[in-house]
Amino acid sequence: MLNALTPETLTILGQGLWFTLVLTLVTSLLAMVVGVLVGSLRLWGAGWLAWGPTLFIEIFRNIPALVLIIFFAFAFPNAFAAPSRQTLFFDNGFISWLGQVTGLSIPWYGLAAVLGLTLNTAAYIAELFRAGVGTLPREHIDAARSMGASWGTIFRVILVPGGLRAAYPAITSRLIHNMKNTALASIVAVPEFFNSVNRAITQSFMAIEFLTLAAILYLALAVGMALGLRWLKRWLYPRQARRALSL
Amino acid sequence: MSHQLQFLWQNLPDLLIGFPQQRPGGLLLSVGLALISLGLGFFMATLVGSGRASPNRFWRWPAILYIEVFRGLPLILLLFLIHQGLGGRRFGLDLSPYQSALIALTLYTSAYQSEIIRAGLQAVPQQLVDSAKLVGGSTWRVYWQIKLRYTLKTMLPAFTGQAISLFKDTSVVVVLGVSELMTVARTTLGSDIRNAPYWITIYLAVGLLYLSVAVIISSLAKRWEKKRVSHDLIFSLANA
Repeated sequence: MLNALTPETLTILGQGLWFTLVLTLVTSLLAMVVGVLVGSLRLWGAGWLAWGPTLFIEIFRNIPALVLIIFFAFAFPNAFAAPSRQTLFFDNGFISWLGQVTGLSIPWYGLAAVLGLTLNTAAYIAELFRAGVGTLPREHIDAARSMGASWGTIFRVILVPGGLRAAYPAITSRLIHNMKNTALASIVAVPEFFNSVNRAITQSFMAIEFLTLAAILYLALAVGMALGLRWLKRWLYPRQARRALSL
Repeated sequence: MSHQLQFLWQNLPDLLIGFPQQRPGGLLLSVGLALISLGLGFFMATLVGSGRASPNRFWRWPAILYIEVFRGLPLILLLFLIHQGLGGRRFGLDLSPYQSALIALTLYTSAYQSEIIRAGLQAVPQQLVDSAKLVGGSTWRVYWQIKLRYTLKTMLPAFTGQAISLFKDTSVVVVLGVSELMTVARTTLGSDIRNAPYWITIYLAVGLLYLSVAVIISSLAKRWEKKRVSHDLIFSLANA
């Protein structure tokens, strides 16, 4: 096992691990923002602003993340005619800049993975956030209203922090799930950790060893994320705030 | 547009029930894989979940390890580990892709179902357990006929959520080349450059198929729950 860990494979694995971390962070943050937005719209939107989010949630929650990623990576560009496809997805200023920053040979595939994972996770988080807001005591909002707070203030000060606090455990496990789902990006040739493990295996023919190593590292990542998010919760919701939200 | 629909129409039977030479496949096989592994996983989960809720630490700790390991690994990694590790040269089990897929999916879903069963077991009202003991139920019978049954009824929504989630996860099995929906879609399109315009139609259809099965499962579950709600849970247990 140890002689398979040449400096070469170690670099590949290290880069892969770094990519997985970046992918997880980017998709998690984006999904949180989109999820809270969509969830809020579903709660308080009217007309198409009400059923639009419902459609978004149902579609992106019920289609497997893998299908979404492959769709955005391989199928979606094919909806455009050849010349515009080339400039839109594979050859423009933004794409080449992205290629330089990330070192991806086809940056669009990385973007497709980000898009697929973000939409999938955002749909779940929207539902969780909505459920979290539903558990908040009605009196909080009434009290704030009677003191003359605007709906904007109530949203910012009571509903978003309170809803996220109530849904925190569920959101934590969804984000860890999202971290595991980043491994699916290996199918569209994004060089994240699982992809780098596969490359290390083709170089060394030591399948079981590297797969076990990958398993250990993914478990460590999952445990690390759980601990990190618990720490983040303490930091976001100190005891005083927890008491104020009466949760 | 019309040739897009024509291409889809030609390949729809393959997507639904698989290629003629390897049926059942396609969506049918996806549903089949999900159902079988859910069933097998449920048996594992009653065992592991009970261990997880048990006060005996020699039973609880292995259960925690089991749950954390199989829940913490990406399914794609688990599939490779089973297929190349358990089914590889070292162990010489020589598993077919179907068998590997079933084992991996079963282990994966059983970890999630164990957590559901644990949560349910811990939510059983103490009075219910006490009164069952009071009328002379042995530990085993109280566990089997009161606690577990109560758990299954209260945890039904969580189980349907897990069923939908697992059904969607069967798409990952494409990496082993089991001829389920994703594999059929990929094989149909192949590497033929002339098929490039059809990618979007086929994958939209695939997405729609997953979506509709998931929506059907959840609406069936909702209808079933509504029927059950009218019964008082404890009353129905007492009269069963």
